Amino acid sequence: MGADLTILLPEIFLSLCAMAALIFAVYTTKDEVAPLLVWGTAAVFVALALWVALSGNVTRTAFGGMFVDDAFARFAKVTILLSAAAILVMSKDYMVKRDLLRFEYPVLIALAVVGMMIMVSAGDLMMLYMGLELQSLALYVVASLRRDSVKSTEAGLKYFVLGALSSGLLLYGASLTYGFAGTTSFAGIISVATDGNISVGLLFGLVFLTAGLAFKVSAAPFHMWTPDVYEGSPTPVTAFFATAPKVAAMALFARVVHDAFGGVVGDWQQILAFLAVISMFLGAIAAIGQRDIKRLMAYSSIAHMGFALVGLSAGTAQGVEAMLIYMAIYVTMNVGTFAFILTMEQDGRHITDIGGLNMLSAREPAKALAMLVLFFSLAGVPPLLGFFGKYGVLLAAVDAGLGWLAVAGAIASVIGAFYYLRIVFFMYFGDPEARGTDVAVAPVQGAFLIASAAVMVLGIINLFGVEALAASAAIALVN
Amino acid sequence: MTSSFSRSWLSLAGLLPVAIATTLFILFLQAVPVIAAGRTLRQVWQWVPGLGVDLSFVIDGLSLTFALLISGIGALVMLYSARYLAGHVHQARFSLLLTSFMLAMLGLVLSDNLLTLFVFWELTTITSYLLIGFDHSAKKARRSALQALLVTGVGGLALLAAIILIGTTAGTFELSELRAMPAILTGSTLYLPILVLVLLAAFTKSAQMPFHFWLPNAMAAPTPVSAYLHSATMVKAGIYLLARMHPSLSGTDVWLWTLTIAGAVTTVFASIMAVRQTDLKLALAYTTLMALGALTLLLGNSTGYAITAAVTFLIVHSLYKAALFLVIGIVDHGTGTREVDRLSGLVRAMPVTAAAAAVAALSMAGFPPFLGFIGKELKYAGALAVASEPVLVAGAVLLSSALMFAVAGIVALRPFWGKAGDPPKPPKEGPWAMLLGPVVLAGLGAFFGIMPSVIATTLVNPTVTAILAEPGEAKPLLLWAGINLPLLLSIATFVLGAFLYALHRPLRRGLIWITQRTPSLDGGWDGFLAGVMAVCRWQTQLLQTGILRRYLFLTFATAFVAMAGTLVAKDAIDLPNLVPDVLPKHGMLFVLIFLGLALTVITQSRIAAIAGLGVVGIGIAMLFILFSAPDVAITQLLVETLIVVLFAAAALRLPHLPRGGSGWRFWDAMLALGLGVTTTAILLMVTASPVDRELTGFFEGASWPEAFGRNIVNVILVDFRALDTFGEIAVVLVAAIGAYALLKGTPERQKK
Repeated sequence: MGADLTILLPEIFLSLCAMAALIFAVYTTKDEVAPLLVWGTAAVFVALALWVALSGNVTRTAFGGMFVDDAFARFAKVTILLSAAAILVMSKDYMVKRDLLRFEYPVLIALAVVGMMIMVSAGDLMMLYMGLELQSLALYVVASLRRDSVKSTEAGLKYFVLGALSSGLLLYGASLTYGFAGTTSFAGIISVATDGNISVGLLFGLVFLTAGLAFKVSAAPFHMWTPDVYEGSPTPVTAFFATAPKVAAMALFARVVHDAFGGVVGDWQQILAFLAVISMFLGAIAAIGQRDIKRLMAYSSIAHMGFALVGLSAGTAQGVEAMLIYMAIYVTMNVGTFAFILTMEQDGRHITDIGGLNMLSAREPAKALAMLVLFFSLAGVPPLLGFFGKYGVLLAAVDAGLGWLAVAGAIASVIGAFYYLRIVFFMYFGDPEARGTDVAVAPVQGAFLIASAAVMVLGIINLFGVEALAASAAIALVN
Repeated sequence: MTSSFSRSWLSLAGLLPVAIATTLFILFLQAVPVIAAGRTLRQVWQWVPGLGVDLSFVIDGLSLTFALLISGIGALVMLYSARYLAGHVHQARFSLLLTSFMLAMLGLVLSDNLLTLFVFWELTTITSYLLIGFDHSAKKARRSALQALLVTGVGGLALLAAIILIGTTAGTFELSELRAMPAILTGSTLYLPILVLVLLAAFTKSAQMPFHFWLPNAMAAPTPVSAYLHSATMVKAGIYLLARMHPSLSGTDVWLWTLTIAGAVTTVFASIMAVRQTDLKLALAYTTLMALGALTLLLGNSTGYAITAAVTFLIVHSLYKAALFLVIGIVDHGTGTREVDRLSGLVRAMPVTAAAAAVAALSMAGFPPFLGFIGKELKYAGALAVASEPVLVAGAVLLSSALMFAVAGIVALRPFWGKAGDPPKPPKEGPWAMLLGPVVLAGLGAFFGIMPSVIATTLVNPTVTAILAEPGEAKPLLLWAGINLPLLLSIATFVLGAFLYALHRPLRRGLIWITQRTPSLDGGWDGFLAGVMAVCRWQTQLLQTGILRRYLFLTFATAFVAMAGTLVAKDAIDLPNLVPDVLPKHGMLFVLIFLGLALTVITQSRIAAIAGLGVVGIGIAMLFILFSAPDVAITQLLVETLIVVLFAAAALRLPHLPRGGSGWRFWDAMLALGLGVTTTAILLMVTASPVDRELTGFFEGASWPEAFGRNIVNVILVDFRALDTFGEIAVVLVAAIGAYALLKGTPERQKK
C-alpha cells in the first residue's frame, strides 16, 4: 500500500494542493487571492512536471495494475502540466482586466489536471472513468465560469449534456467489456481480446468505448459541442480546452486501444481511420466559412485531432510516437495562438472577429510575424515544426499499410491550409481601412507568443529532442 | 511602380541581392569543369534522422544547368529590379522575397532528398504567392496570387503524397539511391498512383493543360517577377521534377502518352492563345506556356534526340524569354503602355532595347545562327524520333513553332519598327541597369548559337546523362547538320510563320470572337471558390445549428450507425431463439409500458410526459417482480418515484414545450425506433453468448460459508464490499451537507 501511494505521489500532492488552495481562499479574502493562486498553481504544475520528468525511466504499477506509471504516461503528464501552467499564467491578465478571475478557477483547473494525470495512467476501466469524470466535471464548470453571460452558460450546459451522453456511451461500453472479459483491468482484457477470438459483446464494448472517447477528443462526428463551447466559454478557458484536455484524452485513447485492445488492432483500426478522415475533412471544410477566430480554432482542433488519430490508427509504436510528437507540437502552437487571441480587443472589449486582424502587420510587425509563423505551422507548411508533426503521422499510416489514409490526410491538409493562410492574408494584405484590433499585450502573453513562434522555427533543427522521448514513450505503450 | 527614376537608386536593398546572386553564379561556374568531366558532387547533413530526413545536396548536369540559369538570370533580373523599383516603399520587402525565392529555387534543384526537395518546392510556391500579390492594393493581384497558390498548392500536396508512396515502395528518399534502382517504381503495383501524383504536381507547377490558367493571371506581378519566376525559373520546376524522375518513372506507355498528349495540347493551345493577346506581357505569358508544353512533350520520350532537344530548348527559352520580358518592362516603363496596337517605331527612341528585342526574337523565331535555331532543329529531330506517332507530334511542333514565329514578330518587331505610334508617354530609352539584362541574355543566345560547342560539352551532355541516367546518349548541337528532314521542316515553319504573321490581325479578331464565347477554366474559378464556400455554409447549417437537440440527434444517429454497421460488418446478426413463453400477465405489462410510452411521445405537457415515463419505469419494476427479483424491483420503484417527483418540481418552472417541426419529429421517431431495435438485438445476442460466470460462481459459493447470508446482493453490499458501501454513504452525506449549505444560502455576515 505504501509503495502504491509513492507511485501516485504527484497526483496526491496536486489534489492536496487544490484542496488546500480552496480552503485557504474560502477562509481568507476569496477572489483577492486569486492571482496568487494562479501563480502558485502554475508553479506547482511546473514543479510537478520536473518531478515527473526526472523520475527515472522505469515502468511501475500501483493498486494491482489499476495505475500505471510508464514513459508514455510521463510524456503525456509533462505535456499536460506544462501547457496547463502556460495557459494559467497567460490568462491571469485577461481575467483580471475583465473581472473574471474567481479563486475557483485555478482550483478547478488543478482538479481537472489531476483527472488528466489519472486518465493517462489508467490501467483499468474504473481508473479510466474516474479520471475522465474528474476532469470533465471540472471542465463543465469552468466552461460556464462567466455566470452572467448567456453564451458562457449555454456553452457549459451544452458541454455538460453532450458530455454526460458520451460518458453514458462509454460506461455502456465499459460494462459490456466487463461482462465479457470478466475483468476491468486492461491487462485482463487484452488476454481475452485476442485476434479472431473476440466475442461480439466485447466488440460492442469496444465500439461504445471508442464512441465515448471520440467525444472527449472532439473527433467528428462527435464534435458538435466543440465550436459552441469554444465560442461561448471565456477565452482563457477556450485556450485551456484546446490544449491539456486534448492531450489527456488522446493519450487515454491510445492507452485503451493499445493496452486493452492491442490484440485486435484490425478491429479498431478501421474505426479510428474513419474518425480521422471525417475529422480532418470536416475540420478543414467547416473552418473556411468562419468569421470568429475562436470557432475557427475549434474546427482547427477537430482537424488536428483527426491527424493525431491518423497516427493512432496505424496501430504501431511508430504511430503512437508520431501521435505524441504531433500532440506536443499542436499544444505548443495553440499556446502561442491563444496568447495572441487573448490580447485582441477594441476599446477595452474583447473581440474575436477575424476582421480585427486586418493589416496587423502594419501596426504590430513583430506580433504579426509571430502569428504568421504559427499559422503556417498550424497549416503544416514546411519547413516549420507543424509540418514534421503532420509528416510523422502520415508516414506512420503509410508504414502501417494505410496509404489511402495518408493521401486523404494530405488532401485535407491542403484544404485546411486555405483558412490559415486566409488569416495571414488579412494580417498582411488586408483592407487598410478596416478597423483593426488594438493589441494590448501583457508581457507574459507576449513572451508565450514569441516563444512558441520561435519554437516552431528553431524546433526544425532537432525537434528539441522530443523525438527520442516520444519514441521511448511509444515503446513503453506498444511492446 | 515609381513614376520617375530617382537618381539615387543604388540602395543596399537593391544591390545586396545582386551581389548574392552574382556570388552564387560564380561559385556554380566553378563546378562546371568537374561536372563536364562526368563527376557529380554530393554533400549531406543529418537533419531529422528519426524521420529519415537528411539535408543532402547534389550537383550533377541537370541541377547545375538549372542552378546556373537561376543564379545567372537571377543576378541580371535583380540588377534590373533594383532600378525598376527604385524608391518604391516596399523595395526592401521585394528584394527579400525575390532573394528568398532564388534560394528556395536553388535548394529545390540541388536537393538529393525528396523530402528536402518538397520543402523547397513549397517555399517557391509561397514566395511566388507573395510576389504575385506584391501590389496587394489591387484586387486582381490578390485574386491571381491566391489562385496561383491554390493551384500549385494542390500540386505540392500531391507531390508529398507521391513522395510518401515512393518512400514506401523504394525504401529510400534519396534521389541518387532511387536512380540506382531503375525498375523499382515502374515495376511496383503503386506505379500508377505515384505517376498520377507526380504528374499532378509537375503539371500544376508548370501550368500544363488543364491547370494552365493560373500562369497568365500571375502576370499581375511586377515585370521582373514575371521574367524570373513565371518564365525562366519557377514554372520550370515542374519540368525539373519530370526530368529528375525520368530515370525512375519513364519508359512506360502511360508516361509516354500522358506527357505527349498533355504537352502537345498545351503547346498548340498556348501558341494559338498567344496570337490572340494584345497585351505584350500576356502574349509572352502564353508563349511561356507553349514552351513548357513543348518541354513536357519532349520529356515523354527516352531517346537521346528528344532529351537533348529538351535540354537545349530549356536553355534557349530561358535566355530569350527572360530577355523579352525585361524588354517589355522597359517599354512599359518608358511609354506607359503594353498594348501592341499603340506601340510602333520605338527604335528611334530606344535603339538598344530594340536591338536586344530583335536578337532575342530571332532566337525565339528560330532563325540561324541563333541558339533558337539549333533548339528548333533538335525539337524536330526529337519529335521525329518518337517511335509511335512521329507525324502527330511533329505536326504539333510545326504548328506551334510557326505560331511562335508569328508571335515573335508581333512582340519584338511591330512595336519597334514602322512609323511612330501613339503611346501615352513619349518613349525614352531605359537606364543601363535595366538594359544590361536583356542585352546580355539576348547576346548569349546569339553567342551560343554561333559556338554551340561551348555549352554542348559543359552543360547539355551532362544534363542529358543525368536525365537518362546513362552516359553517351546526348546528340551534338550543330548549326549545319546537312539537308535533312528537320531542316526542311524549319523552312516550312518560316513560310507558315510569315504567312500567319501577315494574317495576324484578322486571326486575332477571330480568336477573340471565339474565346469570348467559350467557357474558360479561369471563368469557372470564382464559381468554384464560391461553391466551396457554399458547401461550407451548407455543412455548418446542417451540422452546427447551435441547437442541442440536433446535436443529440446526430450523436445518437452516429451511435446507431456504429452499432448497426458493426452488426453487419461482423456478420454478427444471429438472433437466438429466445422468445420465452408469453403469459397473459406479460402481455398486460407490455400494454402498460407501451401506453406509458405513447403518452410520453404524444403529449404536449411536460408533466404528462414525465408521468408517462414513470409508468414505463413502474412497468419495468413489475417485470423484475415477475422474474423474482423483488429487491431490484423496489429499488427501481423508489428511484422511479424520486425521478418523477424531481422532474415534476423542475418542470413546473419551465415554459411550455414548443411544437417541434413535424419533419424533425418523424426523423426523431425513426431514429428512436432504429436505436431501440438495434440495442434490443444486441442485448439478445449478447445474452445468448456465455457470460463469464467466474464472479457469480465465487459469490454463490462463498456467501454462506464466509458471510452467513443467502441473499447474494445483500452480502456483497454489506460484507464483501462493505468499505465501498461505507464510502458511498459518506459521499451521500457530504453531498447532503453541501446541498443544505446551498439551500440555507449565504451567511448574513456576508450579505452586507
